[in-house]
Amino acid sequence: MRMHKVAEVEVQHDIMVANKKLARKNQRILDKDRVFSVDVVGAIGSGKTSLIEAIIDAVDYKIGVIAGDVISKYDAGRFENHNVPVVGLNTGKECHLDAHLVEHALHDMPLEDIDVLFIENVGNLICPVDFDLGSHMRMVVISVTEGDDTVEKHPLIFQDADLVVINKVDLAEAVGADSDKMVRDVKELNSEVQVIKTSLKTGTGFDEVIKAIDGFITDN
Amino acid sequence: MHELSMAQAIVDTVLDAAEKNNATEVVEVTIEVGMLTMLNPEQLKFLLDVIVEDTLLADAEIIIEDVPVEIDCRSCDYTGLANTDGSDHYLSIVKCPQCDERNVEILTGKECNVKTIKIEKE
Repeated sequence: MRMHKVAEVEVQHDIMVANKKLARKNQRILDKDRVFSVDVVGAIGSGKTSLIEAIIDAVDYKIGVIAGDVISKYDAGRFENHNVPVVGLNTGKECHLDAHLVEHALHDMPLEDIDVLFIENVGNLICPVDFDLGSHMRMVVISVTEGDDTVEKHPLIFQDADLVVINKVDLAEAVGADSDKMVRDVKELNSEVQVIKTSLKTGTGFDEVIKAIDGFITDN
Repeated sequence: MHELSMAQAIVDTVLDAAEKNNATEVVEVTIEVGMLTMLNPEQLKFLLDVIVEDTLLADAEIIIEDVPVEIDCRSCDYTGLANTDGSDHYLSIVKCPQCDERNVEILTGKECNVKTIKIEKE
């Protein structure tokens, strides 16, 4: 009878680090074409798509959009109506974008023709925390209709955020939410981040969002 | 809930290492999971048990080791274990235990590392 040998093998392969390496590669690809990129994360229905649409219509710089969603064609179709280059990324059963998916989308994006790339993540305040995409900034979009305890319940996404938008403030009273509490909760987690209360319906705060993103682009 | 994709990435990593080392079977896999990842170890283990079927890992013992959160505080000179306020595993808020500030650099706690495997060879 032949004897089996048992051996221990050091693998030391970190899947998170593998994603981070790909994210750095994505940023180098973007930097080569001088494209500034914004990872837009937020809750389902908080207004991520509407906010990006409004920004496309308001600014002079040339925008491209990677529309990530479980089924991306709906959002991608909305962006196409604004005559900007769009790449839809279907995540299927996955709850977040990762650097590998974004790398594929970058190949289909005419980077030489755009200045700013918005990457709309899947509506989710939990899973995207683990996955750096290689973007230059992360904007978190939530709205009062999710309840004013949203920030407390999802702290980690706010700790890493560069800009936080609290949307639909015109509906706060109707849904019994305290938008100032939401701002305080974010500041408690991340004292340095800028928090802007907006309503895309009334226009409240929208100019501030544009200004904040401009600031990040200038500083980059 | 991205435990399934992480589980698949772990299995791919293990199979790759096993094949490179001419393994006939993988008997043990040790994975380090940081306490700041959004991964629930129980779910991860369950999904690993499901997807290893018909692979070299089918009978492997899966060991998941928690990696605690270590920080370098930017507000004071503290380096070491963070105060995670006893929050539950995947929603820890990290604070410096010395000055109570949250302005910290996270040194460990975000890993999903396939550390070692034990294999059988002919």
